[in-house]
Amino acid sequence: MSRFSLDQEIRLVQDELLLLGSLVEQAILNSVDALQRRDVEAAKAVYHNDRKINGKHFAIENHILITLATQSPLASDLRLLAGMLEVNTELERIGDYAKGISKVAVRLAEAEFPIPIREIVTMADLATSMLHRALGAFVAGDMVAAHSIPEEDNQVDEYYQSIYRKIVESMIKNPDSIDIANQLVWVVHNLERTADRVTNICERVVFIVSGELMEFDNTDDETIGLD
Amino acid sequence: MPERTRMKSRFHLRILWPFMLIFIFSLAAFVLLVPFVQNALFAEAEIRGTQVNYMPLFALVFLILAVGLLIGLLINIHYTNRHLNVLEDLTNAAKELGEGHFQEIRIPDDLGQQLEMQELGEALRKTADQTEEQFNALRKEQAMLSAVLDHMTDGVLIADDDGRVQMLNNAAEKLFRIENEQALGRSVVEVMRHYSLVELWEKTKNGDPETVTMEMGSAHKYLQVVGISLEKDLPGRSMLLFQDLTQTHQLEIVRRDFISNISHELRTPMAGLKAISETLLDGALDDPPAARKFVVRMDSEVDNLSQMVNELLELSRIEAGRSNFEFQRSEPCRLMDKVIERMTLQAERVGVSLTQECPPYLPKVFADPGRISQVFVNLIHNAIKFTPNGGHIHLSAWQDGDKVIFKVSDDGVGIPKKDIGRIFERFYKADRARAGGGTGLGLSICKHIVDAHNGQIWVESEENAGSNFYFSLPSVLDGYYI
Repeated sequence: MSRFSLDQEIRLVQDELLLLGSLVEQAILNSVDALQRRDVEAAKAVYHNDRKINGKHFAIENHILITLATQSPLASDLRLLAGMLEVNTELERIGDYAKGISKVAVRLAEAEFPIPIREIVTMADLATSMLHRALGAFVAGDMVAAHSIPEEDNQVDEYYQSIYRKIVESMIKNPDSIDIANQLVWVVHNLERTADRVTNICERVVFIVSGELMEFDNTDDETIGLD
Repeated sequence: MPERTRMKSRFHLRILWPFMLIFIFSLAAFVLLVPFVQNALFAEAEIRGTQVNYMPLFALVFLILAVGLLIGLLINIHYTNRHLNVLEDLTNAAKELGEGHFQEIRIPDDLGQQLEMQELGEALRKTADQTEEQFNALRKEQAMLSAVLDHMTDGVLIADDDGRVQMLNNAAEKLFRIENEQALGRSVVEVMRHYSLVELWEKTKNGDPETVTMEMGSAHKYLQVVGISLEKDLPGRSMLLFQDLTQTHQLEIVRRDFISNISHELRTPMAGLKAISETLLDGALDDPPAARKFVVRMDSEVDNLSQMVNELLELSRIEAGRSNFEFQRSEPCRLMDKVIERMTLQAERVGVSLTQECPPYLPKVFADPGRISQVFVNLIHNAIKFTPNGGHIHLSAWQDGDKVIFKVSDDGVGIPKKDIGRIFERFYKADRARAGGGTGLGLSICKHIVDAHNGQIWVESEENAGSNFYFSLPSVLDGYYI
C-alpha cells in the first residue's frame, strides 16, 4: 500500500474524529443550556442526538480497524491510529455524559429547585473549551498544550466542589428536594468526568508524539485523600 | 502583414552581402594576380626552355581561396558574436519579465545595426512596460480586495472541492482562533471545528446558497453563516460568510429580559389597583371610611407606578446624554445630611438604623445636589432592601487626593461573587427572589450619574457579611473646577 493512501486515510479519520468531537462538545453545551432554560424539547433533542454520536463512533472505529488491517502501519502511524481509537472511545463516553445531563434536564424542567446554574454553565464552558483545545492539540501533535490543558482540570474540580456543597446545603435545608438535588449532583459529576476524559485525550497526545505512556490524572487520589 | 514580408526580403538581401564581399575579393585577386603570375611562368619557361611549371599558379589560387574563406569566417564570427551578445541580453530580459522582476529588466540601448534585433528589443521593452502596468494594476486591485477582506467584520472562508481551505480573512482567523498560515491547505473540518458549519459547506458547495443561524462552542458565539458556491466565477470553490451576531443577540436577550421584567413589575401594582377599584365599585364606595383607606392604597400604588416610569425615563434621558445637570460647588456633608433626613424614617420603619459620619474639613465637590442625592437614595434603598431587621447602614465620606469618596455600607446579605461584575448593568437583579419590587435600574442610574460627574462608582462585598458601595466625586480645589 502506498504511503499516500495511508496518509490520506489518517487525515480522513482525523476529520471524522474532529466532527465527532464537535458533536459531543455541542451536546454537552446544549444539554446544560436546556437545563438552564428548562427546555424539555431541547433536552430531548440532545438525548436523541446521542444515537448520531454512537453511529459516528462505530463508523470511526470501523474506519480505523480497516486502515490498520489493510495498511499495516508502523511506528508513529500505528501509535496515531491506536491513539485515535482511544480518543474515539473517550468522545463517545463524553457523549453519554451529555445524554445523562439531558435526561436530568427533562426531569428538572418542572422542579422548583434553586439550581446554581451560573456555576454549572461556567463549568460546562470550561470543560468543553478544554475538550476543544485538547482535540486541536491532538491534531497538531502539540505537546505544550497537551501538558497545560490537564492543569485546568483543577479549576473544574474546584467548581465541582463548590457546586456540590451548594447542592448539599439545599438538600439539608429542604429534605423534600433530595431526589432532585441528587440528580443535579449527577449533572455536575458528569461535567467533572468530562474534564477527566479530556485529560485522557491529552495523555494520548503525549503517547502519539513521544511514545511515552503517562498519567496526568490524579484527581481520584485527591478526592479520597490518598495523595 | 506587408511589414512582415518587407522584413523577410530585407533579411535575404543582407545575409548575402558577406558572401558577395568574398566573391568580389576572390574575383579581383584572380583578375589581378593570375594573368600576372601566368605570364611570369610562361616567360620563365621560355627562357629556360623547360616546360611550364603550373605549381606556383595552383598555390596562388589556393592561397586566394584560403584568404577569402578566412576573411569570410572572421566577418561571420564578428557578426555572430554581436548577434549572440544581443540575443543573450534579450533572453535575460525576457526571463526577468517572466519572473515578474520588472525593475531588473535591462535591454541595452545599442542593439547593433540589425533592424530585427532593434525591433525585437523594442517589442520586448514595450511588453515589459505593458506587463508591469497590468501587473501593478492587478496588484493594486488585489491590495484593495485584501484590505476590504481584512478590515470587514464578517468572516470569509473559501475552500476548494476537496474541502481544503484556500483563503480566510482576519475576521475568520479570529473567529476560529487560527493563524492564516496554519489554516491554508487544512481541511474545513480542522479549521472550523463545528459539524453544523461542515454540514452547511457540504450542502451548499454544489447547490443553492443557504443561511443558518447557530450558537458555537463554549464561547457561545452567536453566528449567522451563509454558504455560497462559487462555481460560476471560481470553478470548484465555495465560500462561507460568517456574521458574528453575539452582541446583537445579547442585546436582544437584554431587551427581552427588560420587557418581561417591566411587564412583571407593572403587573403587580396594576393588579392591586384593579382589585381596589373593583372592591370600590362593588359597594365599598358606600362605606366612606373603608373607601378612604382603599383610595389611600390606590394612591401609593400609583406612586409606585409613576416612580418606575420616572426611573425609566430618567435612565433613557441620562443614557441619551440629554439630561441637564446643574453642577455647583456643594459641601459633601450637606449632601449627606439631606439624604439622611429623607431616608431615616424609611429605614426605621423596617428596623434598620441609619447613621453618618462626615469630617467637617472636606473640600467642596462639583456636583448636581439633586442627582447626587438620587445616587444616595438609590444606594440606601438597596441597602435597606438587603439588610435584615436590626441591621445597620452607615454613610461616610473622606478626602482622597483631589477627590472626595463617599461610602454607603451595610451589614446585610451581601452580593454573591458571580454577580458583583454585573450589578451596575441595566435590569440586572442579583437575587430575584429578594429584590422584590424595583426595576433593576437603580444602580444603573447611579452609575450613569456618577459617570456624568467624572467620578467612579464601585462595590466591595462579601456574601452574608454586607456590602460597601463607594463613589468618588472630583473636589473643587482653590477655585479650579474639574
